[in-house]
Amino acid sequence: MDPFSAEGELVNIHTAFVQGQYTSVINDFETSSFSESNKIPIQVLQYRAHCALGSYDEVISQISDKDAKKSPDLAAVKLFASYLKKPSDKAVSEAELLAESQGDNLSVQLLCGTILARAEKQEQAVQLLAKHQGSLDAVALIVQIHLSQNRTDLALKEAKSARSFAQDALLVNLAESWIGVRQGGDNYQKSFYVFEELAQGPSSASATSLVAQAVSELHMGRTEEAETALNQALTLEPENSTAIANKLVLDTIIGRPVEETRAKLQSVAKEHEILVDIAAKREAFQTAMAKYSPKFEA
Amino acid sequence: MSTSSSSPMLTKFESKSSRAKGIAFHPKRPWILVSLHSSTIQLWDYRMGTLIDRFEEHDGPVRGIDFHKTQPLFVSGGDDYKIKVWSYQTRRCLFTLNGHLDYVRTVFFHHELPWIISASDDQTIRIWNWQNRSLICTMTGHNHYAMCAQFHPTEDLVVSASLDQSVRVWDISGLRKKHSAPTSMSFEDQMARANQQQADMFGNTDAVVKFVLEGHDRGVNWVAFHPKLPLIVSGGDDRLVKLWRMSETKAWEVDTCRGHFQNVSACLFHPHQDLILSVGEDKTIRVWDLNKRTPVQSFKRENDRFWVIAAHPEINLFAAGHDNGVMVFKLERERPASAIHQNQLFFINKEKHVRSYDFQKNIESPSMLSLKKVGSAWVPPRTISYNPAERAILVTSPADGGIYEYINLPKDASGAVEPSNTLRGSGTAAVFVARNRFAVFNQGNQQIDIKDLSNSTTKTIKPPHGTTDMVFGGPGCLLLIAPTMVYLYDIQQKKQLAELSVAGVKYVVWSGDGLHAALLSKHNVTIVNKSLEQISTLHETIRIKSAAWDDAGVLLYSTLNHIKYTLMNGDSGIVRTLDQTVYLVRVKGRSVYCLDRAAKPKVLTIDPTEYRFKLALVKRHYDEMLNIIKTSSLVGQSIISYLQKKGYPEIALQFVQDPQTRFELAIECGNLDVAVEMAKELDRPKLWQRLGSEALAHGNHQIVEMTYQKLRNFDKLSFLYLATGDQEKLQRMAKIAEHRGDMTSRFQNALYLNDVQGRIEMLKEVDQYPMAYLTAKAHGLEEECEAILEASGLTEEDVTLPSLGRPAAPPKALVPTYKTNWPTRATGMSSFEKALMAEGGDEAVAPDANGEEDLLAEEEAGDGFVDEAEDDDDAAAGWDMGEDAVAEVEDDFVNVESAEIGAGSSEADLWTRNSPLAADHAAAGSFDTAMNLLSRQVGAVNFKPLEDRFMEIYSGSRTFLPANPGMPPLVNYVRRTVNETDSRKILPLISRDVESVQANEFNNGKNAMKQNKLEDGVVSFQKALHLLMVNAVPSQSQVNEAQATVQQAAQYVLAMSIELERRKMVGGSADLSSFPEDVKKRSLELSAYFTIPGMDPQHQTLALFSAMNFANKNKQLGSALGFANSLIERGTNAKFKENAKKVKAIAERSPTDAIDVEFDTFGEFDICAASYTPIYAGEASVVCAFCKVKYHKRYNATVCRVCNVCAIGAPCSGLRLTV
Repeated sequence: MDPFSAEGELVNIHTAFVQGQYTSVINDFETSSFSESNKIPIQVLQYRAHCALGSYDEVISQISDKDAKKSPDLAAVKLFASYLKKPSDKAVSEAELLAESQGDNLSVQLLCGTILARAEKQEQAVQLLAKHQGSLDAVALIVQIHLSQNRTDLALKEAKSARSFAQDALLVNLAESWIGVRQGGDNYQKSFYVFEELAQGPSSASATSLVAQAVSELHMGRTEEAETALNQALTLEPENSTAIANKLVLDTIIGRPVEETRAKLQSVAKEHEILVDIAAKREAFQTAMAKYSPKFEA
Repeated sequence: MSTSSSSPMLTKFESKSSRAKGIAFHPKRPWILVSLHSSTIQLWDYRMGTLIDRFEEHDGPVRGIDFHKTQPLFVSGGDDYKIKVWSYQTRRCLFTLNGHLDYVRTVFFHHELPWIISASDDQTIRIWNWQNRSLICTMTGHNHYAMCAQFHPTEDLVVSASLDQSVRVWDISGLRKKHSAPTSMSFEDQMARANQQQADMFGNTDAVVKFVLEGHDRGVNWVAFHPKLPLIVSGGDDRLVKLWRMSETKAWEVDTCRGHFQNVSACLFHPHQDLILSVGEDKTIRVWDLNKRTPVQSFKRENDRFWVIAAHPEINLFAAGHDNGVMVFKLERERPASAIHQNQLFFINKEKHVRSYDFQKNIESPSMLSLKKVGSAWVPPRTISYNPAERAILVTSPADGGIYEYINLPKDASGAVEPSNTLRGSGTAAVFVARNRFAVFNQGNQQIDIKDLSNSTTKTIKPPHGTTDMVFGGPGCLLLIAPTMVYLYDIQQKKQLAELSVAGVKYVVWSGDGLHAALLSKHNVTIVNKSLEQISTLHETIRIKSAAWDDAGVLLYSTLNHIKYTLMNGDSGIVRTLDQTVYLVRVKGRSVYCLDRAAKPKVLTIDPTEYRFKLALVKRHYDEMLNIIKTSSLVGQSIISYLQKKGYPEIALQFVQDPQTRFELAIECGNLDVAVEMAKELDRPKLWQRLGSEALAHGNHQIVEMTYQKLRNFDKLSFLYLATGDQEKLQRMAKIAEHRGDMTSRFQNALYLNDVQGRIEMLKEVDQYPMAYLTAKAHGLEEECEAILEASGLTEEDVTLPSLGRPAAPPKALVPTYKTNWPTRATGMSSFEKALMAEGGDEAVAPDANGEEDLLAEEEAGDGFVDEAEDDDDAAAGWDMGEDAVAEVEDDFVNVESAEIGAGSSEADLWTRNSPLAADHAAAGSFDTAMNLLSRQVGAVNFKPLEDRFMEIYSGSRTFLPANPGMPPLVNYVRRTVNETDSRKILPLISRDVESVQANEFNNGKNAMKQNKLEDGVVSFQKALHLLMVNAVPSQSQVNEAQATVQQAAQYVLAMSIELERRKMVGGSADLSSFPEDVKKRSLELSAYFTIPGMDPQHQTLALFSAMNFANKNKQLGSALGFANSLIERGTNAKFKENAKKVKAIAERSPTDAIDVEFDTFGEFDICAASYTPIYAGEASVVCAFCKVKYHKRYNATVCRVCNVCAIGAPCSGLRLTV
């Protein structure tokens, strides 16, 4: 039986993970209460939750090299954590190796896939992930990779095929909503409903889904509602960089001074993509500007 | 006859047939019906000269014919006693009215009632209702053949003519009453009618004889009413045309026109002019003056007796039928003589009055002169030439063999006065050639006289032989026109400069710049330059009437029914259709000014898009083309095929929607991406084939591969893989060949793959053991050889082998070509396309990455194949083929598919394509193009101040959606078109709309003004300016609002900067006595200038108040008085006004300034925003294209001091704020 299926042992912890309730994943589930065969997946999920919360060092130190050698899952987790801590070419090539040797392992697929995708090797990542055996996590990751490459068509195809075997699974809904925010039009509202349901349910609320809700509202031009949701997210996780980044966008849109938010973002995530991107764009602006030679004096 | 002129007849159409007895004009279309003695009825288009139809149902001659005014009907009456009603639409006789007992002579429709009147040799006149097809009235009384009977055009009267020598007028009001709706006749009416109208001898009250006109002493052949006056004209066998007048109670003979020397067959009144026309068996058409009853004109035919004449009801056209057919003719030229000078058109109208028309004001002047006395009364002047220096005109008239007259125009138009002192002479053509000279050409003695303004000859020129006309030929030159040549003649040098062989030139039209001329002949337009070198020529099947030049150098010309254009390169097309002929005189923008046949100025609106576009294309003005494409709906097959023909398929591609055409165009311009897209849409083998060969030519093997796959061109595909070195796919081809059971293909693929084993297997499969053995042997596969020998039951000794060479392996591809396409130079985007991209104009083609789906996968999984494959399985059961292979292959495919993903284009890229707004480009992060746009639209050069705005827009249009943990958030693009999903219409959200700018920065600026924090104010307003410069608004009205805000903000910046400048000089001190003289003067001036920029009244009040106090304190009482007055007049603050009154009281005692400052309270001026000095009205200045602030000329091209972004005076197209 699939341990992730509705009756399986892992369903609750997995759902919590998907909903972004990482603290709950770490604290509310005791590894010992699960059957032996599920120990590893639980561990992996918990480690991943740690990673999601940014405690990379904890993960790295907890997994000994011996464990890593023994279990490809743990090896992948360790690699994952160290890559997220500090992206390096070495980690990427290790991930490639691991993918080659243990390509059938789901954790390897997911974690190495993520590393590859982050390292601009999206095609490899998709190839690796395509080996999955009906894993929605893999599907969701594939969808995201397609979207990040602006291939909404492929993402849609992927989500559709997933829906055909997983029906109304949470991840499928989420994946479709991610696509929806990209597609726009009526799909904004549809996506909003999914995110809102998650974000506003007391048992499912998390900063991640609140931010997602806010983003969908931003796209529909509902700035006030978006702000409420973002503030909720920031109360839950004051240092959620994505939330702060979106706050920055929101402030810009409504014409509010952005310096404070920007400083805050800088303090939590110096390398956040919005900051990197904006810095790059400023440079681009300077280059573009340099083509003109204004004359100030007559 | 001696007085009548015998100018040549203006024949428009002639037909040859048997004797024409009846004629009818169609009231709207250029058609005439002709009924012939031969029993045929013909329908002609006299404009095109074509026979449209023939109607042959009558037995014997058809004499009467008439069109219905509104219905598609006509009626005919013939010698078969029958009246037939026809439909020319269905081309059938609808029904026949029987009743007459002898020949039917004439038939006519009633103008409003459904009636037909007929006259017959049975001595009766009958009225029929053609709706219920019944005879409603028989009018008896004539006692010989009734030859003609007609309804009165407005009243209930009928007039008839008979061989009994009488003309009768009948009252048919009774008939109308009887046949109108019963309710309309009250009892009283009935009584009145019964009492009033005496019945005729048969008790018939429907039609009663009103008058019997006797005067002809032979039979009367024709009679007609005047269209408006109570007049009747009749003609008879006594060779006379008689004019009759009638009143309510009586009718009498007015006069007789004598001149025909044979029977008069028919006669009628001219529909518009006081003329009578008659035709007779003496083979003449005669025109008579209605008022004087004197002959005006006569036209004679050699051999043909005339039988009938008809007039067109609207236009100046007549038709006469004779023994051998019909002729359609005009009595006079209709082309109004006209001349243009600058914005004035001088023309001669139908009353022969000279008038002018102002193109700009669109006003026609009252008559200025009457030219009644020039030439004969009935001949309109042919040409007019205008001399602006003398305000004189030269008029020529063909009357009396050609005359000209030199007339001074009165100073102002005060009605049709007779010209006082005119100079005249004889000549065919006359034209001004200089301020004080004109040329007169005399065709008779072939001589050109150059005359001074006193009409004395100063020079005589002998024109080339055979010259027929002379027109203006550019300064100091004449164009002399001969039947087959045109000569350019220099008057000074008395020599011919050039000649050009053009036949039949009738008119010459010079372009506005005098560089080109169009020579118009009947069917040709020849464009020449001023040295008479031919530039282009074109032929028209329809008569060319007139032409005029567009400012851009496009010739517009009119034919009988179209306005067309032609470019210098000979490209031409239709601009619009005309329902009536007009004579073009000028083209200005969308307006074509012309004179119609009644010599009334008219303005027609045209759509110049098409020729402007073509012109832009020819001149390669891509910006203009772009503009046209975007602002107009220029589509249609013609423009596409035009572009294609001219070799611009890539531009045509922008217009086309139809996939087939798009495909063709894409192939033509080598745009494979579009071609692939279209081919996918259409999915036809032919197209794939063409795409394949085109792609092959491009070396784009990926597309080639796809087309081969589509076409199932396995062999080619294999070879392609071999060539590109794609071993993996080649393997699959081998497998596919195996499934297909195609042995040749298998062999081929095995060869390509150098797969010896495969080849041997295949040969064994087809029982070619010897070949298999040979192959095995050649490759040294001894075991295999053994096996084969065993299988065929032979031993090595049984086989004799030919000598074997070394086995050859197919060459390997050196380069892994298959991995990517050949790198090609970026497709030669035309500058047009580039412009299009930059402007984000048209739909941009977003090509999918090619070769997306692996078509072979489908191929293999295809139903047809499964069956085949199974068959193969059975057949080849012995050969280890297995199903694993298939599964493997399928697995393979998944991988192949995923291997072929590539990045798509982001939504931000769409924005730049979808929008010409700088803001949208900034949002897309395409700062380069955004700046480019701004620099083109408002001349922006200094972008530094816009940096924050750009970044703000950029970062305000992207959100971050957290998705999978560990992955960076998904970037999504915020749209302002929230409900739009069409990728061509998606646009980014631009933060800070106009409203928010007004509410914040703009308002803050004003508050700063109020609080006297001018530095802050300047910053605020400049911020507002920058926000608005890079922005997007939804509607035009908002654009206007934004622009108003921009200008206001700019004025505030200007005002505040002036005041700040002053404070910089003198600080806060109000007393200037301690400062040097120049500082005093300057600061006083600045304080005065502070009041000039257009601020809100309350802020202007502040400026005035401070200026007044400043002036007052520094003994500038004159200036102070001025400010005080303005304050009192315009001030918004009561306290200030009080103050002002006090100052005024003091200042008025000695209103003089201690220091003379450059400030005029009453003068109109602007302040230069760089030097803070006045720019007086009329003084040259330059403007910032964005904020519209003025500068002195010397600041041209420097950065605007107000917005700090744009170059002053830069040429630009204006800011775009809405898509």
